[in-house]
Amino acid sequence: MKKLISLAACAVISTAVWAQTTPAQSKTAADSLLNSMDSGTKAEPVIATFKSTRLILGATTETVKKNNLNFLVIHRFGDIGGSEGGGKTLFGLDNSSDIYIGFEYGLSDNLDIDFGRSKFAQQVDLGLKYAIIHQTSDNATPFAVTLLGKAGIKAYHADQGEFPTFTDRFAYVAQAIIARKFSANFSLQLTPTYVRDNSPFPFLAGNERSFFAMGIAGRLKVTKRMGIVVDYAHPFSSFRSNATGDNAFYDPLGIGIEIETGGHVFTIVFSNAKAISETSYLSASQSDWGKGQFRLGFTISRMFSFNKKAKKAY
Amino acid sequence: MKYICIILLAWLSIKNQAGQDLYACKNAKISLFSSAPLEDIQASSSSGTSVYNPATGDLAFSVGIRSFQFPKSLMQEHFNENYMESDKYPKATFKGKIKEPVDVTKNGSYPVNVTGELSVHGVTQTRTIPGTVVVNNGTVSMTSEFMVKCADHKIDIPTLVFKKIAESIKMNVSATYTAVKSS
Repeated sequence: MKKLISLAACAVISTAVWAQTTPAQSKTAADSLLNSMDSGTKAEPVIATFKSTRLILGATTETVKKNNLNFLVIHRFGDIGGSEGGGKTLFGLDNSSDIYIGFEYGLSDNLDIDFGRSKFAQQVDLGLKYAIIHQTSDNATPFAVTLLGKAGIKAYHADQGEFPTFTDRFAYVAQAIIARKFSANFSLQLTPTYVRDNSPFPFLAGNERSFFAMGIAGRLKVTKRMGIVVDYAHPFSSFRSNATGDNAFYDPLGIGIEIETGGHVFTIVFSNAKAISETSYLSASQSDWGKGQFRLGFTISRMFSFNKKAKKAY
Repeated sequence: MKYICIILLAWLSIKNQAGQDLYACKNAKISLFSSAPLEDIQASSSSGTSVYNPATGDLAFSVGIRSFQFPKSLMQEHFNENYMESDKYPKATFKGKIKEPVDVTKNGSYPVNVTGELSVHGVTQTRTIPGTVVVNNGTVSMTSEFMVKCADHKIDIPTLVFKKIAESIKMNVSATYTAVKSS
């Protein structure tokens, strides 16, 4: 009888325990299992710090991804005000200070090769851009670093002995672009730069062939596809700082808006810098915002994808 | 009598354990497809996670938005940055219950309907999603195809690019589960 009771008790208890715990336990078990599998979510590299490989004046940390081609058309009109501006040139629209046609091709997701030609000094640039450090979402790496190196050749026909030797035509720029996306809407970058220009423009006695410069640029997104962009650079060049009068130099500063429409990024800017190539705008900006020597400009960036995977059906 | 008691307890505990069996999948394939006038959009992720409890019918899915791979890298960036806002809403999840009974001990193909909450882009919608559960010698797999309307999850498509993006996205989900003993 004792045994029978204990048997019944065993059965009742175990059934009760089973009935009671099964739904509750399995619910939490399923949840905790899903959570445990999810907790493996790694820190992701931060993407889209900037929408394009260029902001206004300089390059951003963004590189062109593998097998993509970025086609760039950059235009700077003439002075809006001052002696060259005003109504007679329709506020500079009749003139073009510089026109740049460029191609950037992604060799890998972090490395691209850049080629472009400017109207200014008829300079042809060839460069490599390498994204060496990516910012991560967990802030283990708080900023992105991209290295940019470019060599340019001033290709124009020089009939007044501007270039005594062939090497005098060359100019080089090296940059370490450091950027941080502070929030979805705000990104800021610093660009320490080294410029070496074998024939610095303008051709003046004492003009430094090489100097350091610092660029600072930022973007504030107003909507998901439109943002305000600012780009400024300061060359650390005593020759440029000391030059006065007609030969005075002014730090290049650009302010504009950036609009993204799918494959295109349009940037509409006002800038005092006439030139588009890094070596030229850093060494030869002699236009003063205060004198009305700033201009309308635009950048069109169009991305083409040559990824073969695109044809593969999913 | 003692033996009967032990056998009964053992049987109950086995049954208990069987009822606790969970099925988990760490590499669920989730793909999206949409056809729009200008270009087709397609992407897939192979790192969805899922847990299925045959005893209760509970089914849960989770996938990281960043894990979706697009053939076009710019499309992938825009998907994350402009549409899904993956920095704010890193995951899409589904938690539901299979209405029909599925016997995971019997081979067969079971058409099912799963009712639950689909959470995409921070917006949760109660949905009933059709699917198929296939049991084959203890292996449980699931497939499903369903549509997600961008507007249902507050995914804005600007008029400037609306011709490139369809209003509804077709989702395909397939998962193969392995049994996980919960202790």
